[in-house]
Amino acid sequence: METGPDIRSALQDQIYIWRIRLELWWGNFKNFLRELSAHPLAMVGGVVLVLYLLSALFADQITVHNPIQGNLRLRHIAPVWQAGDWTYPLGTDSQGRDLLTRIVYGARISLIVGFLSVGISVIVGVLLGTLAGYFGGRFDSLVSRLADLLLAFPFLIFAIGVMAFLGPGFTNLILALTFKGWVEFFRLVRGEMLAEKTKEYVEAARVTGQGHLAIIMKEILPNIIQSVFVLGTLRMGYMIITEASLSFLGLGLPPNIPAWGSMVATGRDSILVAWWVSTFPGLAILFLVMAINLFGEGLRDILDPRLKLEG
Amino acid sequence: MESGKPLLEVRNLNSVFPSNGKIVRAVSDVSFALAEGQILGVVGESGCGKSTLLLSLLRLIRYPGRVESGEMLFREKNIIELSDREMRDLRGKEISMIFQDPLSTLNPAFTVGEQIRESLRLHNIVSSNKLPWPFDGLRRAQEKERVLQIMNEVGIPSPMDRYASYPHQFSGGMQQRTLIAIALACSPALLLADEPTTALDVTIQAQILNLMKRINEDRGTAIILVTHDLGLASEFCDRIAVMYAGRFVEQGTVDEIVENPQHPYTQGLLNCRPRIGERDQTIRPIPGNVPSLANLPNGCAFAPRCSYVKEVCETGPVPMFETDPGHLNRCLITSEYRRQPDWDWGVVVGRERA
Amino acid sequence: MRSIKILERVLATIPIMFGVAIIVFFFIRLTPGDPVDIMMGQGGAISAGELDRLREEFHLNEPLHIQLWYFLRDAARGDLGYSYVLKQPVTSLIAERLPATIELAVGALLFSLVIALPIGVISAVRQNSWLDRLSMSTAFLGISMPGFWLGIILILLFSVQLRWLPVQGRISLGTGFQERTGYFVLDSLLTGNFAALKSSLLHLVLPSITLGAPVAAVIARVLRSSMLETLRSDYVTLARSKGVAESWVVIKHALRNAMIPTITVVGLQVGILLGGNMVIETVFGWPGLGRMVVKAIFDRDFPLIQGTVMIYAFTFVMANLIVDVLYTYLNPRIRMQ
Repeated sequence: METGPDIRSALQDQIYIWRIRLELWWGNFKNFLRELSAHPLAMVGGVVLVLYLLSALFADQITVHNPIQGNLRLRHIAPVWQAGDWTYPLGTDSQGRDLLTRIVYGARISLIVGFLSVGISVIVGVLLGTLAGYFGGRFDSLVSRLADLLLAFPFLIFAIGVMAFLGPGFTNLILALTFKGWVEFFRLVRGEMLAEKTKEYVEAARVTGQGHLAIIMKEILPNIIQSVFVLGTLRMGYMIITEASLSFLGLGLPPNIPAWGSMVATGRDSILVAWWVSTFPGLAILFLVMAINLFGEGLRDILDPRLKLEG
Repeated sequence: MESGKPLLEVRNLNSVFPSNGKIVRAVSDVSFALAEGQILGVVGESGCGKSTLLLSLLRLIRYPGRVESGEMLFREKNIIELSDREMRDLRGKEISMIFQDPLSTLNPAFTVGEQIRESLRLHNIVSSNKLPWPFDGLRRAQEKERVLQIMNEVGIPSPMDRYASYPHQFSGGMQQRTLIAIALACSPALLLADEPTTALDVTIQAQILNLMKRINEDRGTAIILVTHDLGLASEFCDRIAVMYAGRFVEQGTVDEIVENPQHPYTQGLLNCRPRIGERDQTIRPIPGNVPSLANLPNGCAFAPRCSYVKEVCETGPVPMFETDPGHLNRCLITSEYRRQPDWDWGVVVGRERA
Repeated sequence: MRSIKILERVLATIPIMFGVAIIVFFFIRLTPGDPVDIMMGQGGAISAGELDRLREEFHLNEPLHIQLWYFLRDAARGDLGYSYVLKQPVTSLIAERLPATIELAVGALLFSLVIALPIGVISAVRQNSWLDRLSMSTAFLGISMPGFWLGIILILLFSVQLRWLPVQGRISLGTGFQERTGYFVLDSLLTGNFAALKSSLLHLVLPSITLGAPVAAVIARVLRSSMLETLRSDYVTLARSKGVAESWVVIKHALRNAMIPTITVVGLQVGILLGGNMVIETVFGWPGLGRMVVKAIFDRDFPLIQGTVMIYAFTFVMANLIVDVLYTYLNPRIRMQ
């Protein structure tokens, strides 16, 4: 009986704190949406991206066909405006599988690969960049040297090289993309760290006796994280294109998995009789990457106009 | 004033910038005349349209800004009506400009010598032999010699060594001398100087002003000096025009402006100035803020800050009054007061604003 | 001053090259299991007798650092190993395929510069005009488009539908072409064979466009934004106030300075060119390094993959070296410090 009220009030305190936090986040989010509405193209990009996410999430509900098992008797059916058959709106491929179904399932692959490879790159890059930039020393020079070496490889070449030795597969694909992917985030965070740690507000935090961890987490990282977010969005389109290129070469996922890149590759063999098999998966990549880039550039204009256009 | 036709006569000049659906009136109804060899100071706070006035004279306002109306007669030719070709011949040759921030104004990719030489080449000053590169060696050598003379004249030491230097290797003072050298290369009749000393240290400021004064005396180059510093203008210029919110509000000789300021804004400016050697150092700042050029009041633009303001000031545009010969004042109240000082102005003048 | 700066930069690439070689050396450690066994499994491409030579080649019985030492020593001598699938030294295989790849890369770079420079300049000068909007939208498409797909669409349009351009390869049969240097355009010129010249140029069109398009898009975007900045600068106003004609203001004063940030980006784009190379050569059946390495991957021809990846990385390092030297030349502030 003694501890009862204490627990209850502690719980109420926590609920109160979280309510305030949620309200703050919600307010920030609404502010962000308001700023986003000044960038109509970024809004379009965001909406298209959400549509892609939804169709990837509900792929099973959207389509009735099997993405992997086809019927050879139904191969190379033309899209609806040529064949007039609504069962296969975008036609079928050389194994008689519904193209739209495969494209919708392909969105899963591209989005998961995009989010995962960028996510891991961000985590590794931010972690190493923070440590290197904040503490410097031998660790910094070691990791920076490694980053310089990795930068000597063109991104796609490096990924292809790694995949050549690892062999195809989902984990290997993510590894190949992140082995070099973290470098850009590392360089961004390290540079910002070096710049931020000499500023007055960090000095002030140090004087008030805060530890390194608290200074990094509470004072510096919140100022950097927006740039990381912007760069992450802009890199994601590139990751998706790279994955598609690997799949196109047959170096990505096993061939039966509906990845857009390998769909374009198989369609290439039948391009004289069925132009649609290569065309539509490619368009799916194009629209997704465009949406991400539009959103990312809008994000950059809002959050971090200093990041200039690059690759 | 000297007799004869003036070198430059500006009548009712208006320059505008469209901005977010509004029209920014950077220069409104500006008129003045400048004789050969005369120095006119244009004094006003930053953002009052002084720089736009100078750029208007060279037709260099950046698009979408433009000269809306008015006349600018240079040697009796209207600058506004010149073709692009004639305009280019005028720029740099007849009318030159010196800018505020010398480092950002000099092109970082070319040596200072080449930048001075470019003006000579453009206007065929040294030689009109138009053989193209690489057959222009003789011409180039002649031009280089002339550049070295000019560099020497504006006080750049050892010009031979400095010819091939890049702007960032020069000090601020040297950069400004280079800009002056570029402006003087073709011996223009008129020099437009946009706050030429603002970015410099005080001691360098004096050197640059002396240099400009010497050029004015030796060559008879007329100068329009734009500055926010009334003190500087009163030492350097023959006449002063005070600019406020895109308009000239008072114009006269230096003595008239300093000894006998008529417009309340000029009086305010003089009160803001610390005076060396005087015990009474009460600086009285002008209350309020400069109005936005996009949103000017209908009547006198200074009315909201003026301590003499009357209802009539806010009813419509205020014209220039010639209160004394050659002394112009754009103020209803003080101009009227000068005309009829014995009328009972005490009732009105100095009354507190409601 | 300048030559010292450049020499420093050249010397700095040596440790980078070494590092690149070390990373490539470790690639083979990524393979699950014994690499020699894996190579063995390639349908009898490797005989039992070669197995021992292979083990010796990789020095697999030695400790790791000794293996690394051999690898670096051989690489420094220009010996990148032996391809057991193609039965030839890797270096000579690369040398054989290199001209085709260089020809394509030059074509792509030329295409992208010819397209991007005028578009970047004009879009900045006529900011917000329909031309600016159109070219920037196209450039945006360009950076979002997978190159292999663009290649297929171009083949579909210009080769299959319109029949204007060839689908595959470097030259048509029956032109009486004689190979001299391996650069087909050059060889046709040398032998005065204009049928071959026409054919080799036509074969270059689509691959060059496909490979150069994303590069052109990036260069145009960067050039436009840096031109917008330099066109707004005070020194451009000064040039105008001197009486410089507008076209010269743009080219001499604005473009010269806008090239400084652009050139750095061009250097980074060489990476895109090299990476795209593998994909585009596969799409167009272009017999260069890229197609060779893709085939080598399926053949598990590890020495050939290692050697080619190393050559790509070296090329990238060299390209960035050239860009840095150009940058130093264009930017007097760096030059004189």
